[in-house]
Amino acid sequence: MKVPMQWMRQYTEIPVSAEAFQNAMIMHGTGVEGLEDQNEAVQNVVVGRILSVRKHENSDHMVICSVDVGEAEPLQIVTGAPNVHEGDLVPVAKIGAVLPGGIKIKKGKLRGVESCGMCCSGPEIGVPDYLYPSVGDKGLLIFHEDYAPGSDVRPILGVDDTIVDFEILANRPDCLSVWGVAREAAVTLGTKFNKPEIKVETVPGRMSDFVHIDVQDTDLCPRYCARIIKNVKIGPSPMWMRKALAASGVRAINNIVDITNYVMLETGHPMHAFDMAKVKDQHIIVRRANEGETIVTLDGKERALTTDMLMIADQTNATGIAGVMGGEESEITEETTTVMFEIAAFDRTNIRLTTRALGLRTEASGRFERGVCAATCREAADRACQLVNLLGAGEVIEDVYDCYPNPRGEQVVTASVARINARIGLELPGEKMAEILTALDMKVTLDGDTLTAIAPDFREDIENEADLSEEVLRIYGYEHIHSTLLRGETAPGTRNEHMRINDKIGRILSGKGLYEIRNFSFISPKLVEKLGLEPGDPRLKPLEVTNPLGEDTSVMRATLVPSMLGTLSLNQSRNNETAMLYEIGPVFDITDRKPGELPHEQPTLCIGAYGEKVDFYLIRDIVLDLLARFGVSCEIVPGAEPYHHPGRAARLMAGETCIASVAEVHPDVMATFELSRRSVIAEINLELLAKLRTKMGHVHNLPKFPAVTRDIALVMDESVTVGSVLTCIRKHGGAMLEKAEMFDIYRGAQLLTGKKSVAFSLTFRNAERTLSDDDVNPVMQKILTACERDCGASLRV
Amino acid sequence: MDMHEQLQRIQEEALAQLESVKDKAGLDALRLKLLGKKGDLTLLLRSMGQLPAEERPKAGQMINAVREKLTEQLNELDGKIRRLEQQKKLEREAIDVTEPRAHTPIGSMHPVSLVQDQLCDVFTGMGFDVVEGPEVELDLFNFELLNLPKNHPARDAQDTFYIEDNIVLRTHTSPVQARTMLSRKPPIRIVCPGRVYRADEVDATHSPVFHQMEGLVIDEDVTMADLKGTLDAFAKALYGEDVTTRFRPSFFPFTEPSAEVDLTCVNCHGKGCRVCKGTGWIEVLGAGMVNPKVLDMCGIDSKKYKGFAFGVGLERIVMLRYGITDMRALYEGDVRFLSQFRED
Repeated sequence: MKVPMQWMRQYTEIPVSAEAFQNAMIMHGTGVEGLEDQNEAVQNVVVGRILSVRKHENSDHMVICSVDVGEAEPLQIVTGAPNVHEGDLVPVAKIGAVLPGGIKIKKGKLRGVESCGMCCSGPEIGVPDYLYPSVGDKGLLIFHEDYAPGSDVRPILGVDDTIVDFEILANRPDCLSVWGVAREAAVTLGTKFNKPEIKVETVPGRMSDFVHIDVQDTDLCPRYCARIIKNVKIGPSPMWMRKALAASGVRAINNIVDITNYVMLETGHPMHAFDMAKVKDQHIIVRRANEGETIVTLDGKERALTTDMLMIADQTNATGIAGVMGGEESEITEETTTVMFEIAAFDRTNIRLTTRALGLRTEASGRFERGVCAATCREAADRACQLVNLLGAGEVIEDVYDCYPNPRGEQVVTASVARINARIGLELPGEKMAEILTALDMKVTLDGDTLTAIAPDFREDIENEADLSEEVLRIYGYEHIHSTLLRGETAPGTRNEHMRINDKIGRILSGKGLYEIRNFSFISPKLVEKLGLEPGDPRLKPLEVTNPLGEDTSVMRATLVPSMLGTLSLNQSRNNETAMLYEIGPVFDITDRKPGELPHEQPTLCIGAYGEKVDFYLIRDIVLDLLARFGVSCEIVPGAEPYHHPGRAARLMAGETCIASVAEVHPDVMATFELSRRSVIAEINLELLAKLRTKMGHVHNLPKFPAVTRDIALVMDESVTVGSVLTCIRKHGGAMLEKAEMFDIYRGAQLLTGKKSVAFSLTFRNAERTLSDDDVNPVMQKILTACERDCGASLRV
Repeated sequence: MDMHEQLQRIQEEALAQLESVKDKAGLDALRLKLLGKKGDLTLLLRSMGQLPAEERPKAGQMINAVREKLTEQLNELDGKIRRLEQQKKLEREAIDVTEPRAHTPIGSMHPVSLVQDQLCDVFTGMGFDVVEGPEVELDLFNFELLNLPKNHPARDAQDTFYIEDNIVLRTHTSPVQARTMLSRKPPIRIVCPGRVYRADEVDATHSPVFHQMEGLVIDEDVTMADLKGTLDAFAKALYGEDVTTRFRPSFFPFTEPSAEVDLTCVNCHGKGCRVCKGTGWIEVLGAGMVNPKVLDMCGIDSKKYKGFAFGVGLERIVMLRYGITDMRALYEGDVRFLSQFRED
C-alpha cells in the first residue's frame, strides 16, 4: 500500500529521515517494501519561459527555442514538440537533469544545432494529465499559472513527495489507511497522532425526501450509513487532493469520485457514490440475490448470482454486488446533481466467498475481505461530507441514514503482567506495559499483576493475553529479546526410522556413484500413459489435484518411474555421457482409498541410469548390495513390468515378497521418452525394506582349518538360469558347503546349439577339522545328481 | 709358501676381485671360488692337516678370521647389488601417474538433502527429535488446528492445492506439529522436514514444490528468549560464530507474538551487498510463540504449557549456501549440476 509521507505528516510528526522512518516501522511491526523519492526521480527541471522560436534549417518538424530559465543567459533548446509558443511557461530539463527511469540529460546536437536541455511533456517528468492537465505525450506541458523562470517544477506539479510502500500484515486491516499507518508511526516514533476534528456543515432536509433504504439482510451487512449531497457541482478536485491520490496510485476523476477514494485511502472505508437521479424510484435495498438472478457489472460482464451473495438493488433488479462492484447505471457524471454516499460494513467471509465464486476482486472487496470496522463507518461518512464542504462540491443534507442494529461491544482483555513477561522472556514492569498499550489507544487499568485493556474499535484483532503480549513486545522492541538456552532434560534427539533409512541409502548409493535427484511429486497423467501399462493398472488412475497449475502437474505420482525417465531423457538430450541417478519419494497409492481419506504414501526408491559402463547387471548388483546392507537377501527371478525389456528384467524376491525390480527400459518406452541410449531402471519398496530389514548379528570368526575347493563345469540349456543352478547347489551342499560361485560361462563350437557350459567354484569347510576327499566326494555327488535332476545340468566331460 | 703367505695372497686377491664384481652372477662366482667346496679357503683349511699339531689351532683361527671377513664383505656386496637391481627394476616399472583413467566418481545426495541432514544434526544435537508426516494432508491439520479457519484471509498467503474440499497438499510442514501435539505429551521438542506445496508458478525463485523444516518446542517454561537462543545456536552452527539473528514483528495465525527472523548476511557478513540488497540481513525464518488457541485445539493445556515454533525454507538456505541463482536447477536433475555437491 502506497502512502505519501506528506499525507501522513498531516496527522503525525515524523521527525526522522525517510530511511530511519522505514527502519523504525519495520522493527515495530509495519512492513515497508520500499521508498519512492519523487525528488530523486526528477532533478534539475525548472520552469522556463519560451522567449523566441525559430525554424530549424535541417528539419521540418523541429524548432530552435530560446528559453529563459532564470539564469543570466537564456538557453538554446531544440525541440520537436508541436505546441511551442512564445511566452509560454514550460518545464525545462537542464543539462545534468534526471528524469524518471534514470534518464540523464546531456548537452547534444540535434541535426547540427546545439541543444542545451529539453523542454518536457507531462509524462516525461512523471506527471499524468489527471494530476496536472496537459496534452499528455502529444506535446509540452504548458503551465496555467505564472511562475518565475528557474522555479523548481516539482512542488508546482505535485511530484515532490516521498512515497512509502507499506506491507500490511493480515491481522491489521486497520493499517490499510493513512490514519492507520500514521497512528502506528506516532506510537513507533513516540510522537502524537492528531486525528482531524470532523465537523460537517449541513442544510436542512430529510433522508426520506431523497432515498428509501431497506437493509434486509443485516447478518451480511452489519452497518449501512448513507448521506445525501444535493446541488452537486461536479468539477476537478483541488491540486492537493489530486496529488495525494496520484501519489497513492489512484487516478483523479472528479471532485465527488475523488472524495470517495480519498476517504477510502485515509480511513480505510470503501465508499460508493450513487447518482440519485439514476436510482430507480429512489429505492436502495440490501438483500441476498434471488434464485437465478444475474447482473451486468461495471466491467460489462453478465454474472450469474447465487442466493448467498449480497446485492445492492432497486425494487426490481440488483444494481450492484455489495462490497465488490457497483452497477453501471448509477455512476457519477458531469450531469450529476444529487449524490448519496454509501459507507457500509459487510461480512468479510461472505465477501470472500462471493469474490471467489465470481472470480471478481476489486480494491473494495479486498478491503472488506480483510475486515472493515463497522464502528467507524459513521466517522468516515462524516469525513467525506466535511471534504464536500471544503471543496464546495455540494450541500450536505442534515439527516443521516445509519442502520447499525448490533453494535460491537467493547473488547475487554484481562491479562497477567507476570504471564506476559513469561511469554516474551522479559521482566517489564506493569507500568511500562500499560504505557505502551495506552499509546496504542487502549484504555488500560493496572491492579497489581492484573492488567485490563479495552481495545479501540478499530483493533478487532486484540482478543487475548497473547495478543497484548505481542503489542507490548513489538512496541518495546524485538531487539530487546534475550537469547537463552532451552532448559530441561538434555537427552539427544533422534531421527525417525524413515529418515535413518533414507540417510543410509544416500550414503551407500552416493558411494556407488549415484546422484540424488528430487522431482516434483505431481506429474502429467500423459507421462504415466507413456509407460504402456495394462488398462486397469491402478497407476493409470492416480490421485488428482483439483486445482493444478497445469496439466503437467495435475496428478500425484503413483510411480516414480515417469519422472526418472524424464530426467534421464533430459540428461541424454544435453549430451551428458553418463547419468546414474536415484530418487526417494512417496508414491501415492489410492487403490483402497475412500473419499475423505488420505492416500497411502509409500516411500519408494527409484534408480535410473545409462552410460558406457552401465548395464542391467551393474544396477542389479547395486540394488542387491543395498538390500544386503539392510540384511535383506533376495532371490532373483525373471519378470517384467510392461515398460521393461521383457528379456532383461528381474524381480528381487525376499521370500514370497517382491521388494524390488530391476530392468532395462523397453525400447518402445525409450522411444516415447526420447531416450536414445539403453537405460536401466529399478524400483525398491522402502516400506517393505523397513519391515524386512534385520539387525546385524554375530560375525563368523575366522576359520582355523583349511578349505577344500572344487571347480566344476556344468552343461545346461540356455533357458536354465545360473541363479536356479546356484540355488540348487546351495540347497544340496549341506553344512559343509561354505561358498558357491559362478566364475565362467562358455558358449561355442564345442557344445551343442542352445547349450551353455557354466563353471562354478565350490568351497567346503568344516570348522572343527581338516576335510578329506572322503568327506567332500559324497556331497559333490549329491550336488551333481541334484543339478542333473532339477536343472538338467550335467557335468561337462 | 707357508700357510700364512698363502692366506695373505688369497685375501688380497679376493679383495681385488670384490672391487671388480658388478652383478649377482659375478658375486656368486667369487663366493664359490673362495668359499665353495673347492674354493681357495676351503682347500687351505683342508691342507691344515699337514701342519704340526701345535700350529693347527692358530692356523685355524687365522683362516677362520679371513673367512669371516671375506664372508662379511661378500654379504655387504650382495646387499649393494640387490639394492641396485631393485632400483633398476623399480625404474623400469615407473608409470605416468598423471595419466587419466576411466572411473566412476563418488556420487552425492541432493543439495536439499545435504542441508536437511545438516539441520537435523544441529537440532538433534539440541535434543530435538526428527518427525515426519504425510504430504497429502487433511485441512484439519494443515489449517484448522493451526488457527486458520475456513475462509480466513490469512489462507490467501498460502495458495493451496486441493485434492478434495478437506484434503490439501500440505502448504507447510506445520501440520506435523498439530499431529505431534495430539499424539505426544509435553515436553515436546521436534523438527519436521519435508516437501510442501504452494500454487506458485515456476521461476528462478519460486516453485510449486519446495522444502521446509518446522521446529516445535512445548514445555512449561518456554519463552521468546529461548526461541531466540535456539535460532541463534542454529545460525551459528550453520554459518559460523559471527552470524546472529534479528527478529522483526510479523503475523502468523499460529503464533503470537510472531517474528520474521533475519540472519546476518552470509555473503557480506552484515556489511551490505547484492545478496542482502544492502541491508546486511537476509530473511530466512518465520517464528513465534505458539498461539494458545493452537495449543488448546491440539489438546495441550495452554494455561500450563507454552511453546515456540519456527519454520525455515530449505531452498533458501541451499541457494545461499551454494550460491545457486536459479531454483529450477534443483529439480531438473542435470548431472553436471548435481556432481558438484559433497558433504561438508
